[in-house]
Amino acid sequence: MISLPVVLAVAALMFAIGLYGVLGQTNAIMVIMGVELMLGAAMLNVVGFLRYAHPDATGGSFFVLILMTLMALEAAIGFGLVIATFRNRRTAEIDDLADLKG
Amino acid sequence: MSDLATALVFWPVAVLMLATGLFVFITSSMARAGLLLLAALGLEGLLFLALASEFLGVLMLLMMSAEMVIMVFFMVMFMPDPGGLMGMDMTHDKRRSIGAAVILGLALAIVAVVTDWPARVLPPDAPDVRAIGFEVMGRSMFSFLFAAMAILFTMVGGVLVAKQGGRYER
Repeated sequence: MISLPVVLAVAALMFAIGLYGVLGQTNAIMVIMGVELMLGAAMLNVVGFLRYAHPDATGGSFFVLILMTLMALEAAIGFGLVIATFRNRRTAEIDDLADLKG
Repeated sequence: MSDLATALVFWPVAVLMLATGLFVFITSSMARAGLLLLAALGLEGLLFLALASEFLGVLMLLMMSAEMVIMVFFMVMFMPDPGGLMGMDMTHDKRRSIGAAVILGLALAIVAVVTDWPARVLPPDAPDVRAIGFEVMGRSMFSFLFAAMAILFTMVGGVLVAKQGGRYER
């Protein structure tokens, strides 16, 4: 049967997949997709805690709502930055954006 | 939903969610990657439904279907090889990133399994969507308003960052 550790373990694996996307991909859009997966894993964690640790708490849903808002905001600002970068450099590859690298 | 029904929905959906999430970074076609991410987050919405969070599950399905369609457009616009037909490798530090992801994923999963978490049974009078509605209009009004303001400011900020002739133009 399903229990809190099972949900948390699935969320941990999802977080790891997102982390691979953030660290391993060269394109800014793909990095944003990795962050989306990591935030999705965080939401699954909260829903797991809501279901198995505090099933009578309504306020907990708002942590997920805030995370969902964060996902949308991260994508919006990320896309804005990608447009600005593409306009200046004609690329969205993060390896080409190493001006500040020491 | 009974425990058995939850398990019957949870396992296949969770496995499929992880598989589609992984294939997002394996496929070379960007349209396919965007749709796979939509599938992964949509399946997560189904998991929310299975875990008795109907409101959040439906909200997740609605929000992600819109967001991921927008993301597919951006990917096709800004990727050097959106169709994946040129065989470009769009990864770097592959071995180290896989190592970091595997180690962190396993560490978090092990901590999740070995920790002694509280286990409470879902009461029959668990809060439903109606209770969440009252929560929005009551105690959580401030956080809801904060989220609304944050979305508004981000819309303005995103346009300012992206617009032509802005301060970041070179």
